[in-house]
Formats: sequence, C-alpha cells, structure tokens
Amino acid sequence: MQPSSATKTSSFFASKKSRRIDSSENTVPVELRDVSLRFVSYHDKQYSLKRAAMDLVLRRGETMSTDFWALKDVNLSLAKGDRVGIVGHNGAGKSTLLRLMARIYPPSSGTLKIRGNVAPLIEMGAGFNPELSGLDNIMLNGAMLGFNRRIMATKVDGIFEFTGLREFADLPLKYYSSGMYTRLAFAIATEIDPDILLVDESLGAGDAAFAEKAKARIQGLLGRANVVVVVSHDMSALKQLCDRGIWMEKGRILDDGPMAEIIDRYLEHTASIVA
Amino acid sequence: MSAGDFTDDPSPMNTRTTAAPPHTEFFPTVETTNWFPRLMGGMADDLLELRRFWPVVTNMVAQELRVRYQRSVLGFFWTLLNPILMMGTLTLVFSQLFGESPKQYAFRLFSGLVPWGLMATSLGECSMCIIANEGLIRKIYLPKLIFPLTRVLINLVTTILSLGALFVLFVPLDARFTLPMLLLPVVLGMFTMFSLGLGLIVATLNTFYRDCGHLVGVFLQAWYFATPILYPASRFEGVSWMLWVNPAYPFIQLFQDVIYSGTWPSLSLFMVAAGIATVSLGVGYAAFKCNEDKLIFRL
Repeated sequence: MQPSSATKTSSFFASKKSRRIDSSENTVPVELRDVSLRFVSYHDKQYSLKRAAMDLVLRRGETMSTDFWALKDVNLSLAKGDRVGIVGHNGAGKSTLLRLMARIYPPSSGTLKIRGNVAPLIEMGAGFNPELSGLDNIMLNGAMLGFNRRIMATKVDGIFEFTGLREFADLPLKYYSSGMYTRLAFAIATEIDPDILLVDESLGAGDAAFAEKAKARIQGLLGRANVVVVVSHDMSALKQLCDRGIWMEKGRILDDGPMAEIIDRYLEHTASIVA
Repeated sequence: MSAGDFTDDPSPMNTRTTAAPPHTEFFPTVETTNWFPRLMGGMADDLLELRRFWPVVTNMVAQELRVRYQRSVLGFFWTLLNPILMMGTLTLVFSQLFGESPKQYAFRLFSGLVPWGLMATSLGECSMCIIANEGLIRKIYLPKLIFPLTRVLINLVTTILSLGALFVLFVPLDARFTLPMLLLPVVLGMFTMFSLGLGLIVATLNTFYRDCGHLVGVFLQAWYFATPILYPASRFEGVSWMLWVNPAYPFIQLFQDVIYSGTWPSLSLFMVAAGIATVSLGVGYAAFKCNEDKLIFRL
C-alpha cells in the first residue's frame, strides 16, 4: 500500500466536489472528528511475567486496570489564525486534548488530522538533556521538532537574543535556573515558527518582564497565521491572547464561542456551583 | 468544516489522502482498517518519519558516544582494554583446554566475540530503552522506533571501532587483511538487522512485562554458550542440527569465515543469514508497531 500512488489515482478521478474538499482540507490545520481517548491506568506498572503466570494459574481475573474516557466524541476544527483558549475544571480533559494534538497520546477512536509543524509547550524542557550545553540542546530540541542542524543554526541567534542567554551557551543545562530553562524552551518553540503552538499553563512561568515578552511573542506568531491553543486558568491572560474559547467538561466540549463569552459563562457556572 | 465533508473523503481507506504538503501528519483511524494494510501503509509512513526525525537519531548517538568517551581521558582505550583482557583470559583458559595454539584461538575468539557483543549489548539496552526514555515519550512526540534504533546504532559504532582497533592490535597474531574481508560491512549490516529485530521484540515485551529484562540476560548467557564462539563449530559433529536451529550461528560462522579463515563464505550460508535477518527484522517491526500505541499507557 503506497499512499502516494493511491493519492495520484484518487486525485486524478476526483470529482469537483472532492477537489473542493481537498483544497479546504489543506487550509484546516487541526481537525478532530469523534475523537475519543480511553485511558487505561494500570494499578501495577511493574506488571511482570511472573504475575501474569500466577494470575493464569490462580485464575485471577483481569482486575489490574481501570479505564475511563478522558476524551469522548470530541469534534473540533481549528482554522489558520485561530487563537484558542481552553477553559474547564481540573480533570476536564484540557491537557489531555493538548497532548492528543501533540501526538503524545494516540486517539482510541475517531480521526485526528494535524497539518503542519507542532511545537508543544506542554511540559517545560521536554526533550532537553541536562548534560548538554545550551547550544547543543537547542540543536537537539530543534531536531525533535523536525528541524535539522542547518536550519536550527540560522535560528540560534534569534533564540539567544530573545532569552538573553548567549553567555551561557556553553554551560550544561543542569546548571541553568528554572527560569532560564523555561525561557530557553519557550524561545525554541516559538522561534521555529510552528504552524501550531500548544501552550499549557506555562505563561506564568518566568519573571513578570519575561511573561510580557512571551505574550508579545505569541501575539507575533498569530500575525503569521498560525494556530495557537492555550490551556490556562488565568482568565485575564486568556482574554488578552485568545479570540475563541472552548469550555471542556468531563472529556467533552461543552461550549465553543468567542473567548470573552465563554469565560463569562464558565465563571458564572463555577460561581453557581460554589454558591 | 461540516461533518459531511469527511464522508466524501475519496481515499479508499483512511491513509494519507491529498498530495502531502511538507509537514503533513496524519492519523489513520485505529479501528477501521485491519492489520495488514495498516502495517504496509504504516511502513511507508514510518520511513518518512524516520527521515524527518533522523537528526534526532544522529544527535542521540553522537551525544551518547561523546558522553561515553569524554568522561575519562582514556575513554576509548577502556572500551578496547575490556575485550582485550577478556579475550586474554578466555584464551589462556580455553586454548589449554582445547589444545589449540593461543594465537589461533585468540584470533578466532575475537572474530566471534566482538560481533556477539554487538547483539548482546544491544538486546540488553533495547529492553530498557522505552522505560528509560519515559520522560521524553510522555512529553513530546517522537516515533518510538528511534529508541531501539538508537541503542543498536550506538553499539554498531562501538563494535566497528573495536573491530578496527583490535584488528590492528592482532596483526602480531598473524591477522592479515584478506579479500573476503570486503564482505565484512555486508555481514555486519545483516547482523545489525538481526539484532534490531530482536531488540524491537525485547523492547516491546519488557515494557509490558518488566521482568523480561532479567530473562533476556539469562537467555543470552545460555545462547552464548550454545553458539560456537568459545569453541570451534566442529565440536557439534554428529549433532549439527543443533547448529542450524541456532539463528545466531550463520552470522557468527560468516564472521569467522570472513575475519578468521579469510575464505569466501558459501552462498547458501550467506542466503540463510540474509533470510534470518529479514525475518527477524520483519517480526520485530510488526510486534513493535502493533503495540506502539499502547506503550505510553504502560509507562
């Protein structure tokens, strides 16, 4: 099965209608259709052959795991230039949705289409090696985001300029402070000009001056028609950054609309629960 | 985009549909296709992914080697000294036992032991590679294949280095370059394929059953003694079927032919080895791919 040859025939015989779909497909960077994610959490991560054999002999049933639907029938499509803020209570599936878009979790069912480069800022310093110098880490992190050495070399200057870490370029990362760490991670993820930037709660990291710089930089990214998805509990930041809001509850999308409206409704709802 | 547009999707199954823009990433639905087309379509996608993430592989291999050799001034020297000392000891003991000349014995031992080290170390490291990279796997998307691949490649590089250096050291032991040695890269390539295939299986198994790593160690030890490395294959006279059920034997025999005897290996032996390497890699790949999506929930 070669996808390329299948492509040729299908586009050759494609009707007018499907061509239209093709063109529209190319413009929708993120698309989720009926995506569900079943989370299986194993009580015993250290499951062993020994245990398996004993379970078999003693005829113990498989009570080793519990599963729940972290995401259920999520339909979502994000257009270029969308700045999306996701709100919801803890455990609503916000971060899981972000991880799904970053391909960290595979969907259990449904279709997920991501077109373009994804830069996940989900956990700070993902893919950093503390033993390596700052410069080497930029190269490594760039490679993990899909950019080779040659391309990254052209971006190194910009990264150092933004973070102000040039003098520490040769210092192993383990000697960096957590603020420096965060700055570097953020700068790499944004400097590579991702098509899709996923940010999880990390806007508050770093000092106030950096937080301002970070917001300005995300706004700059938006100008270049990219998709930004932000998960945060900081409503004022969301209001400032995003124009589209998504409210998640129990793994489902409860509401989708302009950011300010969603925030109002969400806060209203939260207040009603507390009261 | 409305839901209806999806059903008009012209592709026969949910693989890549449109002429792919540079960084297209796409997930086929997990449940709608059966395993065979998924595997074949997946293979093409995997090759594309590996090409895209190749800088990560080279980066990780280079780092690991640098860390390994940078720490001690004598870094590379130690990786040489270890096999030399081991070979010295084994030669001292076994050449007496088998009544062979130490020079001959040491050279034959070297031609089998160094390649064996490639497989043994690779398998040991592969069994841990997914668990050891948990931090990475849970934070960022990387094709999981690169973890076993990186481990095997690192060991391939060290094996090539020690083969080269040891060979020079062994010149006093009547080691000389012969024409069949030109086959060495091919044989080494096949053996690497074989090791990678087994490594993929072990990596999958050990992530699901955490005690597999220990079993692998014990199993490798037994396998080592069942393979004619310490002793000549002629010991198996009369029970030669025991050699041919050992999938590592053709490779070790090839290495010994090419390095030690300096003879052209027989075509049948060569073909058998190539076949075993292909099957191993195929089975390993299929086992790994079928479980790849489940790995993250087991970490």
